[in-house]
Amino acid sequence: MDLIRHLKHFLAVAEEGHFGRAAARLHLSQPPLSQSIQRLERHLGVRLFDRSARGVALTDAGRLLLPAAGELLARADQLHTTAERLRRGELGALRVGVPPDLGGRAVAALLAAFQRRRSGMELRLREISTAEQLRGLADRTLDVGLLRYPFDSTWLSLGPVLCCLLGVLLPAAHPAGAAERVRLAELTGLALVLFPRPSAPALFDEVLTTCARHGFTPTEVHQVANPEFALGLVLAGGSVAFTDGVDPPRQPEVVWRPLVGQPLAWRTSPAWPRGRHTPAVAAFVEAATEALAEHAGMRVLDEARPRQPLHPRPTTEFFT
Amino acid sequence: MSQHTGGGGIGRRLRAAFTDAGVTGWLHAVDLDRPAAQVGVGADRLVATASMFKIAVALTLFRVADAGGVDPAEAVTLRPEERSGGTTGVGAMLDAATLSLRDLAFLAITLSDNGAADALLDRLGLAEVNRTLTDLGLTRTAVVHHCRDLAALMAADAGVADGAALAPLLADPVVLARLRVLDPALTNRSTPREITRLLAAIWRDEAASADSCAALRRLLGLQVWPHRLASGFPFDDVRVSGKTGTLPTIRNEAGVVEYPDGGRYAVAVFTRSASTAFTLPAADAVIGTTARLAVEHLRASRA
Repeated sequence: MDLIRHLKHFLAVAEEGHFGRAAARLHLSQPPLSQSIQRLERHLGVRLFDRSARGVALTDAGRLLLPAAGELLARADQLHTTAERLRRGELGALRVGVPPDLGGRAVAALLAAFQRRRSGMELRLREISTAEQLRGLADRTLDVGLLRYPFDSTWLSLGPVLCCLLGVLLPAAHPAGAAERVRLAELTGLALVLFPRPSAPALFDEVLTTCARHGFTPTEVHQVANPEFALGLVLAGGSVAFTDGVDPPRQPEVVWRPLVGQPLAWRTSPAWPRGRHTPAVAAFVEAATEALAEHAGMRVLDEARPRQPLHPRPTTEFFT
Repeated sequence: MSQHTGGGGIGRRLRAAFTDAGVTGWLHAVDLDRPAAQVGVGADRLVATASMFKIAVALTLFRVADAGGVDPAEAVTLRPEERSGGTTGVGAMLDAATLSLRDLAFLAITLSDNGAADALLDRLGLAEVNRTLTDLGLTRTAVVHHCRDLAALMAADAGVADGAALAPLLADPVVLARLRVLDPALTNRSTPREITRLLAAIWRDEAASADSCAALRRLLGLQVWPHRLASGFPFDDVRVSGKTGTLPTIRNEAGVVEYPDGGRYAVAVFTRSASTAFTLPAADAVIGTTARLAVEHLRASRA
């Protein structure tokens, strides 16, 4: 039996002291209300009301059960309200993946920006690679991620593309550092310090292809995960690294320079599985866009940016 | 691989090879003479076939011809203003071309010629091609689009009218996320296992008459592309026949690899790259690499 519904009827009759008035309040006719009370009495095994010509009065059993019924109904109301807030994304936790190299200030700003939008919700951040985030989104252990391109986006919904332009960290003694901006081709003869390929093979290859396209084929590629170690190799001379200019190192032996033509960038998008958009996800996307723009040197890519003509080869098959 | 290994080991190696190439991949390989010997990674996953559907179109031509419904030597004239466009074959020619139906099949298979494939599809009808697939028991394989539909849908989803503006958009991951032609449920589709079944039927003379199957095997053996399946078997005494399929981020090839000792293996490989670049040699090559790993595994278990 639907106990909550029957208890509502019990409460209404007890408060009105009259079947007709209680039925009117519940938008019911009297016979079903009366049957409902009888069913409840059978279910509980006690009589709840004494019926007389003048109306109904609670029995002793009814009087004793009334407070418990009231409490149950109030708790049921609470349950529905909480469920509704969860459904609207005002409560609970949002499970989010963020890249491990997101700076401390960006993380703090992200948490603050999210709290301003959804104060009742907990933001559970996990700092994991794009590949791990994709697995988390696929097996539903993550609700939303901050994914670095390139990744297979065809099963995801994407927020704005946030772009962080890269410059080059190079030995201060190198002649290319004398100019305000460096052309990639000027780095010829130097080695490159880059993240380990297994952590993001497609991005790794993309960086080297872009370097080659702009006339820079490094003499060697040192694969290094730790930014401090990467800096050490640049300090030692003979190597360069690509970094954003948010917080360049202060050592006098190295300089940071933007690249001519902005050929290299980290691109990041908030992403969630298609069809799993919630208000909490929307709040996260807004918060991330705001925080990353202010504290991680990222800006939203302009949809209307000029696009270079491309020359796909005949092997692409699908061009007409 | 020189020795017998379990399915788990080969599965892990295949997945690692796909990951290292920056792609997600699904594969099925089977020994044509010992059908119980198989290797699979996501073998029953629904995938977009892209141009690989042209195998079904060519096969349908031969089957209809077997039944006397069409003369494969019948000549058709394709005019540039009517035929579907493409980057190879008749689809890229400037003037009217008159060819027989079976030579259109030759171009559609060996060069992935969109103009030739659509002309055949127009002559035979989508329903006839799907009847072929149903007759062969391929229940999850379907052809729903002509080549020209794929092109038109991509342009519509990307929001451009003219093809020249399309290329840069198809390299944009945000645009790709809304392309219907990349969703297997909405486009020409199959599974790795059903494609190897289709090839097995062609190689065992079960898909059409023996002469027709031989004619189709000849076409698949004349495919010109060296960069995918064939790249994994740089052996002059091994015959590789196949048909590619390509759409933005999608690179596929399925075919049959035949060794001089009589070993023959059908392999179907479907990939999806993380990068949206059109030119990705590593993503093409991993189709050959994984196919060879799978075939080596099947051959090791043969002895």
